[in-house]
Parts: sequence; structure tokens; C-alpha cells
Amino acid sequence: MGEFEVHRVRFFGLVPAGVRCLACQPRGGRLALARTDGAVEVYNFAANYFQEKVIPGSEARSVEALCWAAGERLFGAGLGGDITEYDLARLCPARSVDGCGGPVWSMAANSTGTQLAIGCEDGSVKLFQVVPGGIQFERNLDRRKGRILCLSWHPSDTRIAAGSIDILRVFDVCSGQTVQRIMVNYHVQKVKRECIVWSIAFLSSGTVVSSDSFGRVQFWDWERGTLLESHTISTSAVLSLAVSEKEDSIIVGTSTGATYQFQLLPVKMGSLEKRWVRTKPFQHHTHDVRAVAHSSTALISGGLDAQLVIRPLMEKMQKKGYDAALRKFTFPHRRLVSCARKARLLLFQFSQHLELWRLGSTNETGKDGEVLPLCRMPEHLVQLKSKGPEHIYCSCVSPCGSWVAYSTASRFHLYRVQYEGDSISVKKVPKVPKLLLPAYQLQFSADSGSLFVASARGSVHVLQLLEPGGCKLLHTFRPPSGSPEAVYLLAASADGHWVAAVSGDWAIHIYNLKCFKHHCAVPAYSCAVTALAIHPVTNNLVIAYSDQQLFEFSIPEKQYTAWSRMVQNCGLHRVWLERDSPITHITFNPKNPSHILLHDVYMFCVLDKSLPLPDNSALLMNQSTLKQLPENARQRQLHAFKICKKFQPLLFADLLDENCLVMVERPIMDVKTQLPLPIQQKKFGT
Amino acid sequence: RRHRELLKEKRRRRQELFAEQKKRKLLPDAVLKELAAAPPARPDGKAAAANRGKRGGDRAVKQTQGQAQRQVKKDKRRKGARSKGNYTAVRLKDQSLTGLHLQLAKDFLNTQLYGPHTNRAQANEFFSLENKKNPVKKAAVQFVDKSWGQEKKQRATRFKKRWL
Repeated sequence: MGEFEVHRVRFFGLVPAGVRCLACQPRGGRLALARTDGAVEVYNFAANYFQEKVIPGSEARSVEALCWAAGERLFGAGLGGDITEYDLARLCPARSVDGCGGPVWSMAANSTGTQLAIGCEDGSVKLFQVVPGGIQFERNLDRRKGRILCLSWHPSDTRIAAGSIDILRVFDVCSGQTVQRIMVNYHVQKVKRECIVWSIAFLSSGTVVSSDSFGRVQFWDWERGTLLESHTISTSAVLSLAVSEKEDSIIVGTSTGATYQFQLLPVKMGSLEKRWVRTKPFQHHTHDVRAVAHSSTALISGGLDAQLVIRPLMEKMQKKGYDAALRKFTFPHRRLVSCARKARLLLFQFSQHLELWRLGSTNETGKDGEVLPLCRMPEHLVQLKSKGPEHIYCSCVSPCGSWVAYSTASRFHLYRVQYEGDSISVKKVPKVPKLLLPAYQLQFSADSGSLFVASARGSVHVLQLLEPGGCKLLHTFRPPSGSPEAVYLLAASADGHWVAAVSGDWAIHIYNLKCFKHHCAVPAYSCAVTALAIHPVTNNLVIAYSDQQLFEFSIPEKQYTAWSRMVQNCGLHRVWLERDSPITHITFNPKNPSHILLHDVYMFCVLDKSLPLPDNSALLMNQSTLKQLPENARQRQLHAFKICKKFQPLLFADLLDENCLVMVERPIMDVKTQLPLPIQQKKFGT
Repeated sequence: RRHRELLKEKRRRRQELFAEQKKRKLLPDAVLKELAAAPPARPDGKAAAANRGKRGGDRAVKQTQGQAQRQVKKDKRRKGARSKGNYTAVRLKDQSLTGLHLQLAKDFLNTQLYGPHTNRAQANEFFSLENKKNPVKKAAVQFVDKSWGQEKKQRATRFKKRWL
């Protein structure tokens, strides 16, 4: 099969930002997530929990609350005091309205999605109307001292419960008056600190559920102002709370990283009286869980350790299959590393800067599994800092290594990098054509002569790169029937003839670069595309979908290839389909045209099209068993998938030349040491 | 042993602080006297003002009270000769009330989540048990603490600055 020298790169210092807010779309099967750096992401449950949209953050933006309103519209509010509506087609903040109450701590939409209530720093609750063009201020509710940290609408939209410091208030929406005031710290003795109510929920039965900084989850009767039940579940604060739609299950998240489920269960078998009982404890996170959500079938939690955990509930699942498996996402579902193969350079994309590294080299050879000493260490060549508060959307380095481009929400920069012996000079290309920004994906052509820019409304710009350092716009491709969504993935062919683009509506269009015309569209499929690449020899487009399906489409013939049809007829192996992370990069070996190299976060695979496909009874990860077999026995058990799980978590893998691979790993422990401090856990015997 | 060294560093730091405060008291008077004695010497005067401006600028950045504030005010008065660019120009529009509210809100959040009463542990302590109990025993997660020898590093950077 092949022996490869592997450059094992662990100096990509990516620290993903922690999860701050979660919001389930009421009837849509999507989850909106906001991070501590202001980034907003949308996950699609039906497409195997794929991260289908990412809006990068900004230093000037903080998101403390996120909610869906009027069906498909997403609103966020934060400590900057503004309420922002996000444009999910153009992947940027669309409109911003000043809340006029100082920093906004919480926001909630009513059950019909027509009104938004925000809780502000100055102690007021403000109501906004959701209108087609944006939002309009309606009125203020009764304002008292104390910042409103959390709020919740009653399902009938007539009352709002708000949590503050030491106090819980219930407002009547029509009159705007406070109809009930409950002191929350009444039951705590001999502690002098204030009790912060971190989150609150209003149930239709009139029960208000609150969670506070003393580690208690309390159930109150709002009319009488009395405490119904109190559960102390932790010594540290309970930061987040979410109720299921049927109001029979609650998930809470604590500062220690533990999450608990409460269920409304009958006191005795068959009795009508029900009580809330703490049922399931989970410890999925190591750091504070500041956001939880409850979908109809799963418990979702996001922590400051940047992990999103989706725990499907067994009792809601019809059968015990992969649908019921725990899903944990730490790293983004996109490529943050680009590689210049010939120059042996790697470009790392951080949120506000880029790093260009040259790989080390070795003169020695060795056997399988040996670590070879380096004769030249990897070098950090250039660090490009992005000006301004906005985070970087995308970046790319050309295959020859002499062009670097990146885009933020309002700027596009192209740099020319020159290598003179040991020294590097980076010069910015001055007159870049005016394009509609941001660019969502950048891809250089194989000969480094043009740059493809993925833009809004399905369009792809082709920029021609001129020596010694300039560029001009050659052409803009648009899909024939138009598309409201932005292009998020690009692939260019090695001969410079074709470019493929995938837009947010999951349509793949292929354009001809010789005559600048639309060539064809790949037949629609019901799932999101996670990676695509064009074969250098055969010009076949290999597509990986988020449900782990693989397709091969022949561009010259405008149809799926015979191998692809065979894969669809036989079906892929069950273990392959049950992988947790999507394939983010596909590449090829020019010397072996039947090989496809792909990787996801936990494995690297060389797919050999000339070998038979494994059926469900065969072992998929059979590399270790094959090594122990003699030659003739091996031939019988060989199948197309050669999977290596030695390098994980894998952010990027590529083939540098026929014997050389580069693997960029990011060990989770390296990430965790750079996160904010976790709570001390006392373990027995230590 | 490390504990003792930390204490020694603390003591050294305090000594240095006292010495600096003493020096600060002397220096402006000495320069003032010089300036008072030789006002027409324009290039010298400019250089002296520039030097004092630089030092005053640095101290303004460090935000020490009392002496430094007086020092800064004097510098502002004497800035007819433009000091070499150790100033920051800020737009009043940016320093708005929103920034202040934002800072207060962030401070509130920080004290509530990471304040003295929360039982926070360093990453080293938190993950150390895992490394000790793993089948493959590993070293501490953060083998080198970057805060060791802070004083020596600071002194080295100051030394470098003086000689550049």
C-alpha cells in the first residue's frame, strides 16, 4: 500500500472559544449557538448535527443571549447594549438596535415569536415588537433597582418572570406592573454574599423555576410567593436552565461542568400528584456549563471548555441505534489550515491573526512507527495580524507559497510573500478589486495564477493574480437560477479548467473556466456537503456529505461515476456511517490515481477505489490485523478503506509528495490548559 | 523551597519599590533645578524635557498616584517641545458611557464567576490527578509556570530598554 513519512504538527495553538448561549429553533430542527468571542453558529439536527453556518465574532461584540423569533429570524443581545439581528443567508449581523438600558443580560421571545423582552443592566425589562424590517421598541415594564440577569415569558404571554440579585420578580405584561416580588436568599444562613439568580423559567402551571449561585434549583408558586420545592444540587453556582416543550423535564448546568436532569414524576405508581425529582447526573464538561437547551429528544449543553454535547434521551428514541449516541463537538466543522504543498508551508487561521510556518525536515529513514530526528526545525515565518475588531472569515495560501489572502467581515487582504534565502518579505497588494464582502471561502488555483472568492448569493469571483504583485477581477460566476445563500466551499481542478462551488442551500454548481460559463449542477441531495475536491487526472468531483455518504461525480460526463453507483448500491460500512465528525478535507495522490485521501477529527483514511468495498460483516479498521497476516492471507481480506486512528484529534491532513504526509493535531489537554480556571473537584483519597 | 524563594522575591520587589519611590522624589527636582539654571540652552532643554516627558508618559501609563500625577501635569505644561511619540491620541467619542457600563458589567461577571469565594483551581492541579492515575503516567500538565522569576525577567527587559 505505501509507507509515508509523517510530519506530525502540534504547534497550531488553536483555542476554541467557550459556548455562551444555546437556542433551539422552536419548529425547525436547528440549534443556534453563541460563543464567548461573539461568534454565532447554527447546527442542523437533521443533517447529522452539522455546523452548517458560522458567523465569526468580533472584539466589539459580546453575545449574552440568543433567541429565535418569527420562525427563522435569529436575534442576539450582549453587554454592548445592542440587539442584533443576524442575516443567516449572508452570514453577518444584519441590523442593530440600541436597547437604551445599558448592557443587555438576557433576552426572550414570547411563544408566538412576535415580541422580544430584554433584561438590562439598569434593572428595566423592555419590550420590542418584531416587525418585518427589524424590531421596534414598544415600552418599558416597571423598573426597579438591580440588574435583570434572566427572564422568561409565561407560555400564555401575559406574564414575565425576571431574576435579579437576591430577588425574583413577576411582571404583568399588559399593565407593566410588578405583581410579585420574591426574596430568594431567605433560606440561606450565615453566608454574607448575595444570591445571584442565574436563570429562570416560567411554567404554564404558574410555577417559576429558578437556579442561583448557591447551587440550588428552586420551584416557586408565583401567586402566593411561596417556595414549593428546593433542591441543592451543587456547592457551586447553577448557571443555566432549560425546560422541555412538554414541561415534564428540565436540564440544569452547573459551574463544575456537571449537568442534571429533573423530571416531573408521580409520587407513587399511578398517583396523580407529581413532583420534580433530580434524575440523571452527567459530567460531560470540565468547565462551567453556561448554556443548556432541551430539544424534544435530547439534552444539549455547552460549556466554557468549548464543547457542545448532545445527549439524546433513551426514552424518546424508537430504537437503540446510532441516533441515540452521545455527540460531543469541540472543533469546528471546517478547515482552519491550508497547505502549500510544493513550498512545504502551512497557514494557520486564528480568529484575529494568521501564522505561516515552514515544516521541518529530516535526512533519516526508519521503520514503521519510528520517530525520526529533525535536521531542520519547523520555523514560524510570518504572523499577519488583522486590523480592527472583526474576526477572520477565511484564509488561504497558494500552492507555491507566495500568495496569502484572508477576509474579515468588511476587509479583504491579499499579500505577496517573497523568499530570499533565509529572509521573508511580505507585501500587501494595494489595489484589490471591490467585491461584496465578506468572502466566505478562498481557494487558489493549482498554478497559483488565480484566486477564487466565494461570495454571497451563490456567486464566485475569479481574480487573476499578476506579477510582481497585483490582481484584477476576471469574472463572476452566478448559479443560473439564483440562490439566496452564500457559497461556503470551493474546489478547483488541477488543470485550471473547472471550479466547483457549494452554497448554503446545499446545491453544488460546476463552472467552466475556459469559456466562463456554468457547466452543470450536481443532482440535489438531502444533506449538507462537508468537503469536496476535484481529481487531478480524471476530473471527477469527490463529495463528502454530513451523513458520511461519499459520491463521485464525473465533471466531463455530467453524471455519477460507475464506482459511485457501486458504492451507493452496496452501501457504506455501518462503522463508517456512525462516525461522529464530518470529513473536512479530501485530497489525492497524483502518482496513484485510484487513491482518495480523506480525514475527519478522529481518523485518516486512504480509500483505494481498485479494491473491493467491505460489507457490514467485515472489520472496517483492519490495518492492525492485516499487518500480522502473511502475504497471501492479506490479499483475501484487503478492502478499499485503509484507516489510521493514530493521530487524533486531527485538524488537517494532506499529502505533501508521494511519500510524505502532514498531520496537524491539536491535543485536547493543550486546549484545556489555556481555558479560564475550572472549579476545584475534591476527589476521594487525594 | 520554592515558597521561600517566592517570599524572597516579594521582599526584593518591595525594596525595589521603595528605592524607586525615593528616586522619583529626587529626579524631578534635580531636573527642574537644571532647567531653572540654564533656560536658554534650547537643545539641552528640549532633550531634558523630552526625557522627562518620556518618563512621565511611562508612569502615566502605569497609573501610579500622587507623585506621578503631579509629574504628568508638569510634563503637559512643558510639552512645547514635542516628545518623541510616547503619547496616545484618543477620540472622546470612543471613550463613551457604553465602555464604562461594559467594563462594570464584565467586572461583575468576573467577580461572581471567578471571585475569591469561588473554589477555582489552576489547570495544573485540576488535571494532575488524571495524569497520575493514567495507565501511562505523564508529567504535570504545565511543567513550567510562567510566573516564576517574574522579577528577573522584568529587570532584564528594563535593562534592555535603557540600552537600546
